[in-house]
Amino acid sequence: MNLFQSITSALDNALAKDPTAVVFGEDVAFGGVFRCTVGLRDKYGKDRVFNTPLCEQGIVGFGIGIAVAGATAIAEIQFADYIFPAFDQIVNEAAKYRYRSGDLFNCGNLTIRAPWGCVGHGALYHSQSPEAFFAHCPGIKVVIPRSPLQAKGLLLSCIEDKNPCIFFEPKILYRAAVEQVPVEPYNIPLSQAEVLQTGSDVTMVAWGTQVHVIKEVATMAQEKLGVSCEVIDLRTILPWDTETICKSVAKTGRLLISHEAPLTGGFASEISSTVQEECFLNLEAPIARVCGYDTPFPHIFEPFYIPDKWKCYDALQKMINY
Amino acid sequence: MRKMLLAALSRVLQGPAAAGRTASRVMVASRNYGDFASEASFEIKKCDLHRLEEGPSTTAVMTREEGLHYYKTMQTIRRMELKSDQLYKQKIIRGFCHLYDGQEACCVGIEAAIKPTDHVITAYRAHGFTFTRGVPVREILAELTGRKGGCAKGKGGSMHMYTKNFYGGNGIVGAQVPLGAGIALACKYFGKNEVCLALYGDGAANQGQIFETYNMAALWKLPCIFICENNRYGMGTSVERAAASTDYYKRGYFIPGLRVDGMDILCVREAVKFAADYCRAGKGPLVMELQTYRYHGHSMSDPGISYRTREEIQEVRSKSDPITLLKDRMVNNNLASVEELKEIDVAVRKEIEEAAQFATTDPEPPLEELGNHIYFNEPPFEVRGPNQWIKYKSVC
Repeated sequence: MNLFQSITSALDNALAKDPTAVVFGEDVAFGGVFRCTVGLRDKYGKDRVFNTPLCEQGIVGFGIGIAVAGATAIAEIQFADYIFPAFDQIVNEAAKYRYRSGDLFNCGNLTIRAPWGCVGHGALYHSQSPEAFFAHCPGIKVVIPRSPLQAKGLLLSCIEDKNPCIFFEPKILYRAAVEQVPVEPYNIPLSQAEVLQTGSDVTMVAWGTQVHVIKEVATMAQEKLGVSCEVIDLRTILPWDTETICKSVAKTGRLLISHEAPLTGGFASEISSTVQEECFLNLEAPIARVCGYDTPFPHIFEPFYIPDKWKCYDALQKMINY
Repeated sequence: MRKMLLAALSRVLQGPAAAGRTASRVMVASRNYGDFASEASFEIKKCDLHRLEEGPSTTAVMTREEGLHYYKTMQTIRRMELKSDQLYKQKIIRGFCHLYDGQEACCVGIEAAIKPTDHVITAYRAHGFTFTRGVPVREILAELTGRKGGCAKGKGGSMHMYTKNFYGGNGIVGAQVPLGAGIALACKYFGKNEVCLALYGDGAANQGQIFETYNMAALWKLPCIFICENNRYGMGTSVERAAASTDYYKRGYFIPGLRVDGMDILCVREAVKFAADYCRAGKGPLVMELQTYRYHGHSMSDPGISYRTREEIQEVRSKSDPITLLKDRMVNNNLASVEELKEIDVAVRKEIEEAAQFATTDPEPPLEELGNHIYFNEPPFEVRGPNQWIKYKSVC
């Protein structure tokens, strides 16, 4: 299955298992603009899979309401770039519900899905990676898969998790990534990073599409420099797995973090800060952050903007030679 | 005079064989401008009104010059959009491209009714407005192809085109409407008797920020005309499936509204004139719904036939196409001849070809532009990026 098919499979499992689950968003009824919800309406009925009008704030607010009342709400925001009208609802209402009501109420049944990240021709408003904005908000969970197999397991975990979750799906991988994915439901635990490749010289951390980039960089580094890299997929951005990363850095002494979002205030800064606190004496070189420039996501300059494998490789070389 | 020379030339080139045909061609071609009427009066559809005692007049007068100008403008926009379609399929234009063909009467009618000092802001289906507000076709096409000759230096693309008194070109649906109210406030504040037209679509009409804007505009009596371009589909969702009330002109509730036939340029012009006069008189905002139609899908990735039938598109094309409507009116009322309009078509085609040539061959903006225009700053600062050793300077 490819990524969008694995998402459909996950939603299918969720709707089958949980009779209160509903899927809604803009254009989900016919299957969604990325085909993630194809066939669900025919199978589960139009009272469980339905379209909303064009109102993100309304969609999320509505979703919070459904969740508080006890049903499982799976909301789709058509592009992560459009999540900002709903930012208030997510940050002020959803994230703080349990806390402010002293655990009397919660909207843990809410999961928000949104296509995320650059896609080659998205320009300013179809390519953003807003995970850093949400990482700053205690009370929600932010999850980003790197492949179809991961996506299904992580999405099902998000749906079952008793906290409001935001699930970002790398849109460039919707068709591009294909894997063998089980049809039955399965879960992948949240807040656990995965070490894809062990190494001894450098730790490289990324999430979503960028994981594939650093995997390539790791191979390049092995061939050209004889450097052994440890590649880690963070998977859950909030709350993130500090233990795995710090243990790895304690072993290797060097850390490279990469993401498409702009450098300043991007999530790499949080990881960087925590790692230097925990592993200061283990560090052999300054932590490298290979991220997008501090500009809005450009239209024509996209190939120069994204942190591609050459930029990561360059940063890695400089770290080795520090 | 030119026509006579043209006729003579064609006679010479065609030779004696086509004498019969040539003769009639000479006859028509030698009709000079004195043979046409200078203006004609037309009956137009009455607008539905909401909270208004009377609406725009039901007769419109159009002069020959106006007619030819509208025709040329609409035809230019039509051809420009079709050319963009072609360039997109050739992958010369990439990214997003939302085409305006079918809706030409809206932007041309609006422009005909307002002054260049009035302000317009719309959403992403903006190529038509960019042209009517004064950007030449070559700059529009160059912006689409992302070249430095484009009106936003190639940095914006299809959805972000701007010029004086035209504020875009906005990607996020509905976000441009509060901006429009703000512009209207500035108009009122500066006292220059200008109005602001804030346009949005039937999909955006369900956004919360629009209702917030209605409230502010009515409360402070801002000279803002809210125009909903209802092309019946919000991307792929028909209006019946998206809106509890499809009477978009009534959605302002406490704001008076008009529903206008958006395929008839004279209807649009009269309605916008009426609205502009209303606002300039200080009576507050107005909501207008233009009932129009787009032939292409929502964007270039949408074939446009999965949520509507080909027959429906064909029907609108044959019965209500804005350019054909204008053409028939002009020819039937002796304002222009078919040949004259054909010549305009040829000239427009040529202009578009040249513009496309420019757009394809102009160089892309230099890499240094990547960091420019983030902020307004006196000393250029360095833009942080993935590499500590390669930085772009942000220069203004």
